[in-house]
Amino acid sequence: MSKSRPIYAPFKLDLAGKAHLIVTNQPEVPEREAALANIEIWTVQTIAPGVQAPIRDNTRAFRAVPELFTHLAHRLSRAATGLRLYAIGTESFIWDAHNIAMAAGLSATEIHLTQSGPLVRRVIVPQNIVTCPGCGAALFVRDHFSRRLAGFMGVKVDAETPGQIPAAEVFVS
Amino acid sequence: MKMRIAKILTLSPSIAKFTLQPVSGALPVAAPGAHVIVEIPGPTRIWKNAYSLVSSPEDRGQYEIIVRRVEHSRGGSAWLHGHASAGDVLEVSAPQNLFPINRLAKKHLLFSAGIGLTPFLAYLHTLNAPFELHHLCKPEDEAAFRSLLPNAANITLHTSRNALDLNALLAAQKLGTHLYLCGPDNFMRVALATAQTLGWPDAKIHQESFGGATGGEAFTVHLQRSGLTLEVAPEMSLLETLEAAGLAAPCLCRGGACGECELPVLSGLPDHRDHVLTPERRAANASILTCVSRALSPELVLDF
Repeated sequence: MSKSRPIYAPFKLDLAGKAHLIVTNQPEVPEREAALANIEIWTVQTIAPGVQAPIRDNTRAFRAVPELFTHLAHRLSRAATGLRLYAIGTESFIWDAHNIAMAAGLSATEIHLTQSGPLVRRVIVPQNIVTCPGCGAALFVRDHFSRRLAGFMGVKVDAETPGQIPAAEVFVS
Repeated sequence: MKMRIAKILTLSPSIAKFTLQPVSGALPVAAPGAHVIVEIPGPTRIWKNAYSLVSSPEDRGQYEIIVRRVEHSRGGSAWLHGHASAGDVLEVSAPQNLFPINRLAKKHLLFSAGIGLTPFLAYLHTLNAPFELHHLCKPEDEAAFRSLLPNAANITLHTSRNALDLNALLAAQKLGTHLYLCGPDNFMRVALATAQTLGWPDAKIHQESFGGATGGEAFTVHLQRSGLTLEVAPEMSLLETLEAAGLAAPCLCRGGACGECELPVLSGLPDHRDHVLTPERRAANASILTCVSRALSPELVLDF
């Protein structure tokens, strides 16, 4: 595995914190933690297209990830020191959450990331080949993860000889 | 570096500001929070004390330090107050910075007590984000400290401990705030415990405290590798005893703040007085910071 690939610890509450906010883009929420008083869980769950699941106790569902992130940035800008943020989900989701938290002033020790769900790779730009949905270029996906962009690096595969594109492997998530 | 005392400004009976100028050349740049080690000549020995610089980091022509005369002082600060005069030349180390400003902070909360204000006086020259300074001092020192601080709404002097609700202050801080602590041992312990109880992460608590080397009971130290047995006298620190024996013991801040002087303990019970070792490492008693810590047992055996 390349050095850029983060290694994640299993989900565990950081008991030094006074309040805890868990954000996830996965259907499963940590049930045991959901019962605790000083914990909030934010999810992305819909019961019909565009209709979020009802709020229950300390769990709040958003219609989509961008909506969750907008609220997250707002919430963190007002929160007091002592909060711990946990992001559980796909690698691009948890690093987007991480970067929102860092911009709000959390330090790395106040943010806990757990990878969960499909191992789908978000490709930013140089073992696999994908077609960029924006420009149509064939991209070779490197095993290099950018924490800042929360995605993998893609390099134009036919940069040397335009049009010479090897057969792509199928990437199953 | 050889430096000459250019000016001594008495701020109170126990607090004085010393302006030091290089005997030759320009001074190294010292970022806010930096300190120097000043060698102070006593009648029987040399004291090496750490003092935070309070002058502007831009000033390459002089350094300013503020010295409190310590009650029951082992000697250094008493000599500076009682015997030093303008024109005297002292040996001063190059500046070291163990207490830098965190430039990622969205707000700086500076909290000091007594002479612990000094690093923050240097901070005030260059702080880039919003800040709040709370300083605790004895009523008799209030005028001295007030003369050093600008008159601003975000700078508050408290002359009794009850005047400040530390718990409320720390609980009200937003996520981007960093806390800086500087003051005597007891103050540091209370402030640190309050912050930790409120869930402050270590990464956002910055602290420095010098001058824990207040002496204590005499004890014996055996140095396993050097094959020496030395007596640490009540008014000497362990580090000073090693140096007096001609040993090149590691050290940097000489005030229990940096951890450079740590040596492995093979047997005996250290009396930990530093601000570096974690509670777990203190309890393990496997090492000692020689500059400030002493012994609870009559003897210590060190791997040195």
